[in-house]
Amino acid sequence: MAVSVWASSSTIPSSKYNNLFAAAASSSSSFSNSSSLKFPLQRLPVTWVCSPSPSPSRPRLLPLVKAKKQTFSSFDDLLTNSDKPVLVDFYATWCGPCQFMAPILNEVSTQLKDTIQVVKIDTEKYPSIANKYKIEALPTFIIFKDGEPYDRFEGALSADQLIQRIENSLKVKQ
Amino acid sequence: MMTTTTLQVQAQASSSFAIRIPPSSFTSPLTRSPHRFVVRASVDPSEKSIEIMRKFSEQYARKSGTYFCVDKGVTSVVIKGLADHKDSLGAPLCPCRHYDDKPAEVGQGFWNCPCVPMRERKECHCMLFLTPDNDFAGKEQTISLDEIRATTANI
Repeated sequence: MAVSVWASSSTIPSSKYNNLFAAAASSSSSFSNSSSLKFPLQRLPVTWVCSPSPSPSRPRLLPLVKAKKQTFSSFDDLLTNSDKPVLVDFYATWCGPCQFMAPILNEVSTQLKDTIQVVKIDTEKYPSIANKYKIEALPTFIIFKDGEPYDRFEGALSADQLIQRIENSLKVKQ
Repeated sequence: MMTTTTLQVQAQASSSFAIRIPPSSFTSPLTRSPHRFVVRASVDPSEKSIEIMRKFSEQYARKSGTYFCVDKGVTSVVIKGLADHKDSLGAPLCPCRHYDDKPAEVGQGFWNCPCVPMRERKECHCMLFLTPDNDFAGKEQTISLDEIRATTANI
């Protein structure tokens, strides 16, 4: 099973992602095979939503790209490898509010680049992940901290409301 | 020979792949299409179902005194979602939910559009039918097929 996540703006912050980026180069052909592969044996292309490198002194290895695909062997792997809290958007192709949120998520990802990573999961492609987290209404947003669900809310909201919600949620833990 | 192939992929437990090759691909080489080997992996519901759900949405909005979203793209996506479920499941199951077992849900009926929350409390979390006090409610209760096509062209 592949974990597919959509990127808004991104860079590759460290060299460990180089081999993943190479895998992503051929992602367009392998993506169509993803439903037939079992995980965790196969490494499958994933579009990882990253944000520009926070530290200007750290050399950027690759140019800033709009959509970033990286490979993770599982959703858990993705969560563990993240050094920041992860906002996961569970969506479906034909869910109106989910499509409405797409540009808003791009904006929020850019604005909160140091605070949070934004990831989108297509619940039709990865129903087991959606079932695991008991997703019902779409869109559902879950903020993961240290690999565990930390906050959860449903429905479309504006960029300001979303930023507010994320900041309030993460503030409590600090 | 120019071929336009559309792959229909359903990421369900019972996966089915359908390849449609339009008859034009077998005509004379003189009638060349400008598009070569277009392979689209997106699933589009049937025109017939889209039209049925479009008409239903207009009728039900009028009947319930609700309005479409200011962003008609949202309306269009939901109408297509309803049409897609009508094609695959036989009933317009709410497209803005995740289900463990879709056919069972269709049989149960709670989430068949118009769903129980909508019928009882005019609550439509798909943002298809919006009460006038809703921030996202527009002033229209109509949507044309052209609008649907235009606003969902990139999906």
